Amino acid sequence: MRRTTAYGFLFTVLLASACKKVIDVDLKSATPQIVIEGNITNAGGPYEVKITKTVDFSAENVVPPVTNATVFITDSTNGISEKLIQADSGIYHTTILFGVSGHTYGMLVNVDGQQYTASSTMPRRVPLDSITFAENVNFNNQMEINAVVNFQDPTGLGNYYMFTEYVNGRQIPDIFVFEDRLSDGRYIQEPLFNDSAYLQKNDTLVLTMDCIDQNSYNYFYTLMNVTGNSNFQSVTPANPVTNISGGALGYFSAHTTQRAAISVY
Amino acid sequence: MAIGQNRYTISGTVRDKKTGEALIGASVNLLESPERGILSNSYGFYSITAPAGHYTLLITFSGYQPDSLPVDLVHNSTLPVELDNVAGQLAEVVVSAQKKNDNVTRPLMGVQKLTTREINNIPVLFGEKDVLKTIQLLPGIQFAGDGNSGFYVRGGGADQNLILLDEATVYNPSHLLGFFSTFNSDAIKDITVYKGGMPAEYGGRLSSVIDIKMNDGNDKDYHFGGGIGLISTRLNAEGPIVPDKGSFSMSGRRTYADLFLKLSPDSSVNDNSLYFYDLNVKANYKFDEKNHIYLSGYFGRDNLAFGNTFGIDYGNATGTFRWNHVFSSRLFSNTSLIYSKYSYKIRINSENNNIGFTSNIRDADVKEDLQYFVDADNKINFGFSVIHHTIAPGIIDASSGSSFNSLTLQNKYSLENAAYVSHEWSPAEKLHMNYGLRATNFLVLGPGDFYSYDSAGKATDTVHYNSGKIAKTYTNLEPRWSLSFQLNEENSVKVSYNRNTQVLHLLSNSTSSNPTDLWIPSSNNVKPEIADQESIGYFRNFKDSRYEFSVEAYYKSMRNEIDYKNGAQLIANENVESQLLFGKGRAYGLELFLKKKVGKFTGWLSYTLSRTELRIDGINQNNWYPAKQDRTHDISLVGIYQASRKWTLSAIWVYYTGNAVTWPNGKYIIDGQTAFYYTERNAYRMPAYHRMDVAATLQGKKKKKFESSWTFSIYNLYGRENAYSIVFQTDPNDPTKTQALQYSLFRFVPSVTYNFKF
Repeated sequence: MRRTTAYGFLFTVLLASACKKVIDVDLKSATPQIVIEGNITNAGGPYEVKITKTVDFSAENVVPPVTNATVFITDSTNGISEKLIQADSGIYHTTILFGVSGHTYGMLVNVDGQQYTASSTMPRRVPLDSITFAENVNFNNQMEINAVVNFQDPTGLGNYYMFTEYVNGRQIPDIFVFEDRLSDGRYIQEPLFNDSAYLQKNDTLVLTMDCIDQNSYNYFYTLMNVTGNSNFQSVTPANPVTNISGGALGYFSAHTTQRAAISVY
Repeated sequence: MAIGQNRYTISGTVRDKKTGEALIGASVNLLESPERGILSNSYGFYSITAPAGHYTLLITFSGYQPDSLPVDLVHNSTLPVELDNVAGQLAEVVVSAQKKNDNVTRPLMGVQKLTTREINNIPVLFGEKDVLKTIQLLPGIQFAGDGNSGFYVRGGGADQNLILLDEATVYNPSHLLGFFSTFNSDAIKDITVYKGGMPAEYGGRLSSVIDIKMNDGNDKDYHFGGGIGLISTRLNAEGPIVPDKGSFSMSGRRTYADLFLKLSPDSSVNDNSLYFYDLNVKANYKFDEKNHIYLSGYFGRDNLAFGNTFGIDYGNATGTFRWNHVFSSRLFSNTSLIYSKYSYKIRINSENNNIGFTSNIRDADVKEDLQYFVDADNKINFGFSVIHHTIAPGIIDASSGSSFNSLTLQNKYSLENAAYVSHEWSPAEKLHMNYGLRATNFLVLGPGDFYSYDSAGKATDTVHYNSGKIAKTYTNLEPRWSLSFQLNEENSVKVSYNRNTQVLHLLSNSTSSNPTDLWIPSSNNVKPEIADQESIGYFRNFKDSRYEFSVEAYYKSMRNEIDYKNGAQLIANENVESQLLFGKGRAYGLELFLKKKVGKFTGWLSYTLSRTELRIDGINQNNWYPAKQDRTHDISLVGIYQASRKWTLSAIWVYYTGNAVTWPNGKYIIDGQTAFYYTERNAYRMPAYHRMDVAATLQGKKKKKFESSWTFSIYNLYGRENAYSIVFQTDPNDPTKTQALQYSLFRFVPSVTYNFKF
């Protein structure tokens, strides 16, 4: 419902005439903080836990990998646990685990004696029915093509979805999440409104649909609120709500995933 | 002179001689004891009791020729007073030295009044005269920024201002994304702002009371007027219903920004709409000197639509019926029946999704206010009010093929009761005080399910209350007092204390106000907000009261302040109370005010030095942090110069420290994208805001009955690019870098308005 909020509309009106300029701001530097991204899916492994650190705002967009971590993932439903292997610098891989819907996974990361833990339960997979396209007027007053995801939300609250678009092989940096809080049991036809790049006819669109748990939804929803170019005056910015305890940024998510490729029409 | 011990009362109503409008706050004194006297009340009524004797009644009112009338006080009598308006006359008004120093002698602190002349001459955006924008030029009242009609009084939030239009609460005082207020200045007679030391008859908000009174209408002749501006047209009419007995006043305006949109060749723009209108109507009828009724109403609506796909309309409707009754020459009563509603509706249409979302708040009030004029040194005010609130937090109406379910959140019912008594007393010649007590009782009513939550926000318990059952009661006592000690004719010192409580709270997790912000009542989870404010001030007049100076210092502590969890879901959420965080606040500051009241050149300088901080459980590691509206410095400079009979020039300059904002202290990569790392709430500052606006008004030649004027103005004369928003993003030209991008609105907005009346 991001675009359907009132202030989305206000921006159009206001910022049509607004002037923009890049300014220098003097931002303090912060002690580097551990950032963990861990994913388990229902597709085959290996699964990845990526550990990096924050950098100062003025630095380049290159984050230092954390190479001295020990990482364990446990399938607490069947008791299988493994220590991950560092496959690339800061990227830790599983070798034996296999993601199953309904199983709860625990992650334990140790860096310099500090422990970070998280757990996530993989929801059941909700099949993507189809991808269609719709034309909508965007807030720059131009027609834009949006992909529409069509699927049946199962009855019962607590379904959370995340979509990612790759256009001609490039990932679109917009976050699309959807919850069934106001849509339980509906046939969902939800347009994915792009903030940063638009679809063109005959582009190749690859779309992934992940069924995520509530914590992951909260993470990506709060991340979405503070990223993207349309974040003019929405909420007071804060770090996204993480499910990792111990003081790290990032998330650990067990989710189902499916992908579809289609030519934009 | 006193010739006996019997005491008699003289009472009546002070009115404008030409229009019959009641004059609010006219000073009424007996010349023989000039220290003693009263101000006419909201209906122009005055009453003075003194020992029998021959007196001279002196009546003064800013902008009017003072009048003195001989009074033989040998029995109770009524004496209607009519004053002549001298506004617009060039010659410096020569008023007798007495009673121009009310600001020094009255125990009222933290009170500001604006005259229509000031409001009419101060330049504003697009030339739309706007009382709410103009009061923001006064000390302690802070402009919330371009594109935001909210304002902050002494550190309080935008929802902590009680905005009354003929006694009805106006829940959303803004039009068109906050660029304009809902108050059409054509319809407005009087505006009083209380930012501290609120009299006990007002309650329900923590920070301030903005009491706005509409014109009654001319009860002698018919008049019509209006104005044509760049973005709106205004029309008004007034006249007698029964000459000298009853009159009406009607004012309306509509903007036509969307008419310009329609000129756009772009067909997609053609479907957009963007306008508001509002209508003020009032009628009154005087049965006799003791009974007078008033009926007033306001209706306004904004309509914004974006093609066929998205639209929102919102607005307020208020209605007030009042009956003034003079029980005796010393006991004045006003009974009011009030209705107020604010509602909005959002429409979203796409191929398969047709969704309507509505929400509203409705109030029905009964209010009784009594004023007992004991004598020239004593006045007792007492009364009660009962307000029934109904809040419909959200109704989703979705088409059958929609991705969303239809949903009706349960209505929230409550009853806000209050009773008060206060005593205005002058125990000694130099000492004036006003002390009182307001008792409030808030009942959270069924029907409804009431939830309890654990610390994670999960509902742990649900209790159902049937219709009419009380789910929760809050009772609060609100002592108020203020005292002035007059050092001499020109100097006084005042102190005041007041406690205020607030039982309705506006939830808004965006950083500026939106029409969709949600009002919620206090409940089992949300306690009433409480503020205690102490203030002390020194008031001084110079040069025969041509100049007025004041300095006030205040300290305010607030409890049960509300903030939001990160990612709070406020829309259509039955468990919205689980999304809230609670804490406390403190605000303190120093306000300086210097005003030149009379002469060719008038104006003022206002400076506020202040600090506002919050401590909310769960935010900023539970440490104190600056509130968004924390303003170290806030300066307003206003000048109005009557250059000739034809030309009036005016200018304002404002400067304030930028709002406190949260900016990143670092960044990281998540899912291949850059995200920002925040460590401290509101630790940074937006750039300082400053701006100058100028206006010139040209009076047309006065014909027999017809008067006209042109107003030319430029908003943001020197084109300062004030930051509206600062956004952090990946540099579009260099993906290896991040940048800060500043958005600003409104450089040099010229406007011209033509006004007429006949």
